[in-house]
Amino acid sequence: MANANETEINIKGLCVNFPDKDNGGDIQALKDVNLAIKEGSFVSLLGPSGCGKTTLLRSIADLQDISSGIISVKGKTPKETRLSQQYGIVFQSPVLYEWRTVRRNICMPMEVIGLPKEERTRRVDEVLELVGLTEFGRKYPHQLSGGMQQRVGIARALALDPEILLMDEPFSALDEFTKEKLQIDLLSIWQKTKKTILFVTHNIQESVFLSDDVVVLSPHPGRVSAVVNIGLKRPRDLAIRETAEFAALVSKVRHSFEGIYE
Amino acid sequence: MTEARKNSLTDKLVIIVWIIALIIVWEIGASVVEKTKRSPQNVLPHLSQIVESVFSDKMVSNKQTAFQIVITNAGITLLRAGIGFLYGAGAGFLLALAMHRFITVEKATFPYLMMIQMIPILGMAPIVLAITQDINKSRIIIAAILTFYPVATNMLDGLKSVEKEKYDLMRSLAASNWNIYTKLLIPTSIPYIFSGLKIAAPMAITASILVDTLQGGAGLGTMLSQSLKHAMSIYVFWQIVFFSATVGILSYKLMSFAEKIFSPHERAKGAR
Repeated sequence: MANANETEINIKGLCVNFPDKDNGGDIQALKDVNLAIKEGSFVSLLGPSGCGKTTLLRSIADLQDISSGIISVKGKTPKETRLSQQYGIVFQSPVLYEWRTVRRNICMPMEVIGLPKEERTRRVDEVLELVGLTEFGRKYPHQLSGGMQQRVGIARALALDPEILLMDEPFSALDEFTKEKLQIDLLSIWQKTKKTILFVTHNIQESVFLSDDVVVLSPHPGRVSAVVNIGLKRPRDLAIRETAEFAALVSKVRHSFEGIYE
Repeated sequence: MTEARKNSLTDKLVIIVWIIALIIVWEIGASVVEKTKRSPQNVLPHLSQIVESVFSDKMVSNKQTAFQIVITNAGITLLRAGIGFLYGAGAGFLLALAMHRFITVEKATFPYLMMIQMIPILGMAPIVLAITQDINKSRIIIAAILTFYPVATNMLDGLKSVEKEKYDLMRSLAASNWNIYTKLLIPTSIPYIFSGLKIAAPMAITASILVDTLQGGAGLGTMLSQSLKHAMSIYVFWQIVFFSATVGILSYKLMSFAEKIFSPHERAKGAR
């Protein structure tokens, strides 16, 4: 199982530049990012729009070319890690195939890598139970609520049992009640599966509530301005949000942003 | 559910009202024409006269009744229209894939496809006939040309409509091109393909009838023009008009039905 002291993802001097269409130069999306993410930890990438948090996630996922620097996932490059299907990705929208049932949506990654049918059925049952959708396997996406669709997205990301779960603002489109329920459920899934989770969000409370570490990113250029360790006890419940400790951490995170609140 | 049922009831009512209105207008017109013309059945016969001619035993030519003529010639025309439609659909499908896969193919072919589409079928048909020297091949080719364009353009739109995240997901799974096409791109474009097929099906039929008229012999179009020239009963003409319209609508319905078979999630929407 996961060794809490081992580094899973190591990032050194990462820079990502985008070509600037207006004046021909480059826009620095990420500048000199250094980061170490421990195996089995829950880490949030927090920041306002334009701070490069999604770019950072996409760079780790090998969905984005980097300009310079090194990303190492247990000694492997992001590309090697992607090709060995060690990333499970959850997007902001559920990105489900509307012509497939819930079960077949979750099956899709397993079909792609060619798992035998019995194995697929077994895994689908397993992850459906994990996200609490056992009753809904035969439904089509349009027959589910937004929160349930996002659960299917999480189940699909877990289908291949990847090392790392990359989540790009997965709850930002949901209403407050659904969001809280999914946060609690995500923590319980994380505790059961021992995945390393990278969670992009622009919500300070959400990042403090979920994470072991909150990586605070500031914009123009996108850079890491602080890494705040969240020492709150586990397992956490919603009541923890009303404690003074929680409020202090939220305020500490808020004050770590550079050049935003001046 | 009751809301949906009410809606479908309203739809049916609208159709019925339309049909009744059309019948009334037709019959009023027929009554007016009856009093003014010497051969009113050429201009606008009563609907009852047309229906009567369908069931009449009277031989109008070659030991066939009017309705037998319509049915045997319909077989000749529609079979070719159908074959051409299938060829055209297949070619449109493959070309859309090629245009999507290779941008040069799209740039090299797309503008010219549009030009072919702008040549009136009335001008293109004699050329095709002159080249092939065969009326059956001409029917098939013209039907195929008409089908091919709406299928190819609609499917290309479908292939381009795939969201970026769905590609990202496939990439994160290290999916092969084969998997990306069969599991993502082609399923996404299925409703678009069927929009093309629904446009094309009645057009393929109309075009085949038109090709018939280029040469004597057989086919719905030939009978249509012979009947108009009084070589046989004028009721053959009227029967073909109604028959072709019905088949055109049925071909559209057939495509809608096929689409439902291919999209079970749409059926689930309907059932809700």
